[in-house]
Amino acid sequence: MEVSIWQALLVGLWAGIAAIDQFNGLTHIHRPIVTGAVIGIILGQPTVGIITGGTLELVWAGMVPLAGAQPPNVVIGGVIGTLFAILSKLSPTTAVGIAVPFSVAVQALITLLFTGMAPVAHAMDVAGLNGETKTIDRMAWIEPAILFVGFFIMGFLPALFGSNVITPMVKAIPLWILGGFQAAGGIMPAVGFGMLLKIMWKVEYAPFFVAGFIAAAYLKMEILPIALLAAAFAAYDYFANQNRKSSGGGTPAPASGPSTDDDDEEDYSNGI
Amino acid sequence: MASEEKTLKQVEQTQIPDTYQDPTVRKVITEKDLHKMVWRSLMLQSSFNYERMQGGGWTYSLIPGLKKIHQNKTDLGYALLDNLQFFNTHPFLVTFVQGVILAMEENKENRSTIRGIKVALMGPLGGIGDALFWLTLLPITGGIGVSLSEQGNIFGPILFLILFNLVHFFLIFWLMDYGYHTGTRAIATMREKTQEISRAATMVGLAVVGGLTASYVKLAFNGTTNSFSIGKMKMNIQTGIIDKIMPALMPVAYVFFCYWMLKKGRSPLTLIGITLLIGLIGAAVGLFAWPAAIK
Repeated sequence: MEVSIWQALLVGLWAGIAAIDQFNGLTHIHRPIVTGAVIGIILGQPTVGIITGGTLELVWAGMVPLAGAQPPNVVIGGVIGTLFAILSKLSPTTAVGIAVPFSVAVQALITLLFTGMAPVAHAMDVAGLNGETKTIDRMAWIEPAILFVGFFIMGFLPALFGSNVITPMVKAIPLWILGGFQAAGGIMPAVGFGMLLKIMWKVEYAPFFVAGFIAAAYLKMEILPIALLAAAFAAYDYFANQNRKSSGGGTPAPASGPSTDDDDEEDYSNGI
Repeated sequence: MASEEKTLKQVEQTQIPDTYQDPTVRKVITEKDLHKMVWRSLMLQSSFNYERMQGGGWTYSLIPGLKKIHQNKTDLGYALLDNLQFFNTHPFLVTFVQGVILAMEENKENRSTIRGIKVALMGPLGGIGDALFWLTLLPITGGIGVSLSEQGNIFGPILFLILFNLVHFFLIFWLMDYGYHTGTRAIATMREKTQEISRAATMVGLAVVGGLTASYVKLAFNGTTNSFSIGKMKMNIQTGIIDKIMPALMPVAYVFFCYWMLKKGRSPLTLIGITLLIGLIGAAVGLFAWPAAIK
């Protein structure tokens, strides 16, 4: 399909806004589930955009900035993935396989930016000691501005030249490679889920994982009812522990019930 | 001395004094100021860098309060310089630290005490926040949104944004008020509460990850090329055997493979690489389906 300059500008604008939101604001309009829909609407194919955005969202479910460490960049993953799905008519999972390498490259750029921004902190020190709050206010916008411009370009160019450059390139790729990207894109959410498990998994809580899995695999339940059911059990657990605490006599019982206290302490040190 | 402009070299040699030129305690912070600073806290990571991390954004978010509290310019300068140092916590819990610190600044507590509380709070809150928001709230709201998105329903992203931000904005406003009004006393209560909340959140989070694993990891062999015949009966390896043992058997196995690798200290990037390789090799030998040619 042909992309007009206006559409490409809008894609760039969205990429820039999303780039700011991923660090400032954090309303999460930068997540692929939203970016996919927005780019789909800009390019006149909302349904493809929404579906691709959903597929990309799952890949980044566990790839989050833990303790400030940068994961493969979620904004460029959402933008490039959706563009490939729409412009080159790739299936959402194939688009995921292609988008991930781009996001790894941009991850490196972000790391570079965060290294290069240190001098601004020292300039802020000088302004701070002199009590010049207005100067600090202005300096606070340097990095968001860089992010906006950088991501604007990284969204605008692929959108503008997508159909003329990217599509012929994609067409030249042998089918088995595209099949490989498609398979990898389908498996990719497993990496994110593995990261979630690494932090959350404990044998004590394993029944909840099993229950959620069975509800989806055998009972074909949606995620929302699974979450609500689990929340009901968690609420029951909370009140049961509260009762145990209040009827525990003179000594104050630990926060989450006597039987699990040790585990919870350990939980804490693990960062949960 | 306060009127002289200081240079970078002087700043580096500055020793921040523990007490104030103007030690009068005045209650100047209003509810309106607090809310203004909650909005400014959205810029917490605006000056993020690897040396100070959120120090710049943290100070930016406090400026309206600090300006009102420290009317003496020298005091203000030291307060700003002190807060500009290294800071890093979770963006959704930062308003709690803001509230506590503002109450302390307003009381003109010693700078070293303020600094100590700030540093003592940011680490634990960072860990809790990662677990609660990035690893629980985000997968849950994202998973709910995706279950609509995969049908091409525009309410997928909309519902996601509403659910996520309800929690987000309720929390940052409530935590600011709570931190400011309860002051340092809030720290103990907060610690106990987060323990209980994170237990509940882990339960819901794991159930959702279990559901997501079964629904959204797509790992299956191509039926047409991977089948064999026993006499007259044609057996499809995927639908005839693997799915009969357990649906989503290979996805859950692969998720635990990733979990195991990550536990062993492998990086997510390695796993992404392995996954791409498996996809490409699998497709090359015909285990996985090839897409139709692009028109």
